[in-house]
Amino acid sequence: MSGLQKSPWVIHYDASSCNGCDIEVLACLTPGFDVERFGIINTGNPKHADIFLVTGSVNERNREVVRNIYDQMPEPKAVVALGICACTGGIFRECYNVAGGIDAVIPVDVYVPGCAVRPEAIIDGVVRALGILEVRRAALAADSAAADTMLIQRATAADLPEILAVQKVAFQSEAEIYGDTSLPALRQSLADITADFQRMLVLKGVVNGKIVASIRGYDDGQGTAHLQRLCVLPYFRGRRLGLRLIQAIEKEFPKARRFEIFTGHRSHTNLHIYGKLGYTTFKTEPYTANIQRVYMEKSAP
Amino acid sequence: MSPWWRLLIYLVGAPLLGGLLAGIDRKLSARMQARIGPPLLQPFYDVAKLLSKERMVVRRSQSFYIVFFFLFTVFTGALFFCGSDLLMVFFALTLSGIFFVLGAYKASSPYSFIGASRELIQMMAYEPAVLLTAVGLYMVTHTFSVHVIAAQPTMPVLLLPGVFAALMYAMEIKFRKSPFDLATSHHAHQELVRGITTEFSGPVLALIEVAHWYENVMLLGWIFLFFSVHWAVGLACTAAAFFLLLVVDNVCARVKWQFALRSAWQITLIFGCGNILVLWLLEVFGILNLNP
Amino acid sequence: MPFVCGLALLFTGSNRLRRPLAGLGAAGVIAGALALACPGLPGSVAQLPVSPEAVHRGMLAVEVAISLYLLVVSVRARLPLVGALVLAQAALLLPLELGGAHPAAEVSRYLVLDQLSALLALIIGVIGGLVCLYAIDYMQEFHVTHHPEMRDGRRAFFAILFVFLGAMFGLVFSNVLTWIYFFWEITTLCSFWLIGYKGTEESQRNARRALVMNLTGGLAFAGAIFALAHGGGPLELDRLVAAKPALALLPVALLAFAGLTKSAQLPFSSWLLGAMVAPTPVSALLHSSTMVNAGVYLILRVAPVLQGTAAGLLVALVGGLTFLLTSLAAITASDAKKVLAYSTIANLGLIVLCGGIGTHEAVWAGVLLIVFHAIAKGLLFLCVGVVEHKLHSRNIDDMTGLVLKMPRVSVMLQIGMAGMFLAPFGMLISKYAVLRAVLDSMPLLAVVIVFGSAATLFFWIKWMGVLLVVTQPHANVEKEIGVCKWSALYALSALTFGTCMLFPLLSAHLVEPYVKAQYHLAQFTALGEGNLILMVIMLGLVSLFPLSFLNYGRNVKVADPYLGGANARSGVQFTGSLGDDRDMSMQNYYLSSMLPESKMMSAGVILAGLLLAALLLKVVVP
Repeated sequence: MSGLQKSPWVIHYDASSCNGCDIEVLACLTPGFDVERFGIINTGNPKHADIFLVTGSVNERNREVVRNIYDQMPEPKAVVALGICACTGGIFRECYNVAGGIDAVIPVDVYVPGCAVRPEAIIDGVVRALGILEVRRAALAADSAAADTMLIQRATAADLPEILAVQKVAFQSEAEIYGDTSLPALRQSLADITADFQRMLVLKGVVNGKIVASIRGYDDGQGTAHLQRLCVLPYFRGRRLGLRLIQAIEKEFPKARRFEIFTGHRSHTNLHIYGKLGYTTFKTEPYTANIQRVYMEKSAP
Repeated sequence: MSPWWRLLIYLVGAPLLGGLLAGIDRKLSARMQARIGPPLLQPFYDVAKLLSKERMVVRRSQSFYIVFFFLFTVFTGALFFCGSDLLMVFFALTLSGIFFVLGAYKASSPYSFIGASRELIQMMAYEPAVLLTAVGLYMVTHTFSVHVIAAQPTMPVLLLPGVFAALMYAMEIKFRKSPFDLATSHHAHQELVRGITTEFSGPVLALIEVAHWYENVMLLGWIFLFFSVHWAVGLACTAAAFFLLLVVDNVCARVKWQFALRSAWQITLIFGCGNILVLWLLEVFGILNLNP
Repeated sequence: MPFVCGLALLFTGSNRLRRPLAGLGAAGVIAGALALACPGLPGSVAQLPVSPEAVHRGMLAVEVAISLYLLVVSVRARLPLVGALVLAQAALLLPLELGGAHPAAEVSRYLVLDQLSALLALIIGVIGGLVCLYAIDYMQEFHVTHHPEMRDGRRAFFAILFVFLGAMFGLVFSNVLTWIYFFWEITTLCSFWLIGYKGTEESQRNARRALVMNLTGGLAFAGAIFALAHGGGPLELDRLVAAKPALALLPVALLAFAGLTKSAQLPFSSWLLGAMVAPTPVSALLHSSTMVNAGVYLILRVAPVLQGTAAGLLVALVGGLTFLLTSLAAITASDAKKVLAYSTIANLGLIVLCGGIGTHEAVWAGVLLIVFHAIAKGLLFLCVGVVEHKLHSRNIDDMTGLVLKMPRVSVMLQIGMAGMFLAPFGMLISKYAVLRAVLDSMPLLAVVIVFGSAATLFFWIKWMGVLLVVTQPHANVEKEIGVCKWSALYALSALTFGTCMLFPLLSAHLVEPYVKAQYHLAQFTALGEGNLILMVIMLGLVSLFPLSFLNYGRNVKVADPYLGGANARSGVQFTGSLGDDRDMSMQNYYLSSMLPESKMMSAGVILAGLLLAALLLKVVVP
């Protein structure tokens, strides 16, 4: 029995709840129900939490907030929607400003209906989430071990949402290097990536059925293949997955005489990888005030 | 017992003991609140869970400060239990605390920033009392060496009640318990979200927790020094002091930092310095002979 | 060997020639200091190339010239106090110099060349030389980029700087009190000129304040010489120190008084705080590393006489009180130079405390404090100067993100700050020794040290933390810093580190022999073997820290800071309650309501004034 099941830390957020469900959550912490005997602590900090308890429905004000808190929780994590408003929107479902339950924004693992949800049901829901967490943790560990057996396949249109999610997570670290979160890779929408998919070849790296890496490329008709948007989930970095993806996509363009790829001037890991594969810098262009794009090329063997 | 054996016992045993103490702390607090409370080994489960989480940071270099915080805390504790110089131990502990604070500053987030500032204020509040402990023990035993102090024939606390009182006040701050859990707090107290530990998660947070265990064991060792005439007596008194700290924790609410700083310095001045003044006067007037 | 004085006096160079000349001069100073200190110290006399009589006459002439000049200044600036002080000093000394039995005739040793002088000469030479090097570039930028409207007095500036260095060398190598007094007054004058360099109303006001206070000290010095001459005591420093307490106490107390004014202790601290208006090289050289060291040097020299006396205790109390109050005041300061000034005064207070206690352990600690403080403080001032030029602000809160804007400078700032108070760096060794020395003689003084040390912790780490905070990307503006500045900064950083690593050698070869000689001890090991090893281990561990940046966290997930879930598009903005994006801002605690700076300083001035009055009463009324 791993630590996760014995020590689930919880973050509790009230999305647009009337506070009825929240009071019941707080009641769980009182001596009457005492969830601390299971090791549950109500930390107010997503970075310390394993389980996200949400009450209330999603509206325009809290949509980004719920997403934000969810993103700031480290894996493995689980979401429990407490109360009928969090599950489906409850009696406010048809209101003009309500987008529905929490699953409109983030994936929910356990739904606990009720109005207001009873403490016993809350505890029951958390215990179910514990089981899910344990499964997820095992999967993560297995993924980590299986990263070396990553499959590289051509992506289909159905993979695009998952690839977009991987792209957004992976490019966060680039944003941190330059302090600029308006990188085009982070701003791309599903429509944009679908348009890209029409004219580019997309490869995906799959581990245990999950997409963990991706790269795109297109031939510009003049003998050069442009490679872009190489992204690898941070959890799987440092294992040559990026290298393998570039090698794979190079093989997909047998007729190209030259390959071109670019990255930011401070992305030393990328520059290092490209250099190892034989790319050399031929052009440096300022892109924004803080970023200069370094273009690298390699002739086809 | 040779210092190398002591070092080994400390390195291996301190986190175990520290975790157990944290578990006892939570269990007793729960019982005082008419709850059942978590199992005794809960802190170990917490650390195991934290170690299995994903690594997440705000600034990449923030974890390194914590690694050094851990390193120096262990180093300081090892110094203490191997019987070396007490004043040096106090200064080294300051160094480790500073690494912790700098790591939180590095995380560049408002909550960790305020938490770090408050941690600095806490350090400023208890530092005089801690240093006065060394001063007082030197006056009574004429040495800073822990080894010699621990082998005294009489209990130092008999001559240093005021200094001990000031130290206990400082201990409440150092153990991060109410009413002085300003920078961060264990369990569910939230004021600044998690204060200084807000932006640390996963394995780094586990490291902070274990470092605190090492530190707590050493702090109890300091209390032991005051009662060191016989190991059983010393242990019993240390346990009683720890229980006192727990009771105060459960009885008091958190105070404002202005009060914490001011009251800590006032208590140190009145009780600690008063004690030293009395000792000095007694020595000057020949009533007391402290020379070995 | 005030040969540098000669070199410097030639130095009224022209504009273009100045750069290489100044560089050469700085290098010469450093080389000279090193050459002096390194080969084995004979520890006694060195022969003068010129006859003492000629030297005396020369000094007399220069002193009269200085007095006349100062009288003119006092008349022109309508400062009767200055004039009164000058006249009083002249009244005390002129009859002595001109009149009958020339006391100097009985002098046997004019120069002293022992380890303390050598150590101080090293400090003056090396740090002084480096600061002059730095000043070349700094003043260039100062006049050309930042203050084109100001009159370019660089020729005089550098000349005065080198004259000052010469005077300091003279001071530490002289054994005759009248000579020390001569060089003392020259440093006062140099300080007056340099503080008022900018020519603004504020600078002149502060320069005059410095002048008044330093002249008061000079008056006390003159009084000491007067008392000695009339009481039949020796006019040589070493004989004075070895003389009977009954004879020596009054002059020594007056000398200590002079040292207190020179080192800006309470109640004379305001001149140093005001002197921060001067350009940074001046602050670094005069007001942290060298000139103020003259005062504490004198006090440490006479410390054996003060040992165990009530006068010594009073001096120590003044030092301790200063240390405590200025450390607390530094917490409230947000101007970087003000923080550094307060911290300088605090450290000098600690050294004065050592001198006042006067035991051999205390003097050992005091000497080491001088060394470590001079190096670290010089480094810090130079870094702040560079930061001020690039960022146009001296405020600590504006230095966020310095680790991105000026990475190397921010690292040097951190080294300097660590050198100021952190274990295992040097200052901590000294603080440990001070505590030990205090406990062996006067335990109640430990109270001020303990509280003051807690306060120093706070303001240094607060500043260091602000340097590390990074909230937005910043361009690196370091590249425009000139090579002279870089060489000075690198050298000082290396020195800070080096002296900490090599401090056992330093202690064994320079400091311990001096202490043994002064106190006639057979054996003296300051810090136990075990502690030395500990220090080295800790230093080693701390040096591992930079290595951690090699593995720069490859598989970590980077997230936004927690802003209650309201993070806006940019990581450092949050969505406000009206839906707009607001910037995040973080400010430090300055505790200004708990520690009212002006009230504390006024209280300090009054208390210290009372202590000094008690001191004078005690020695004058036997």
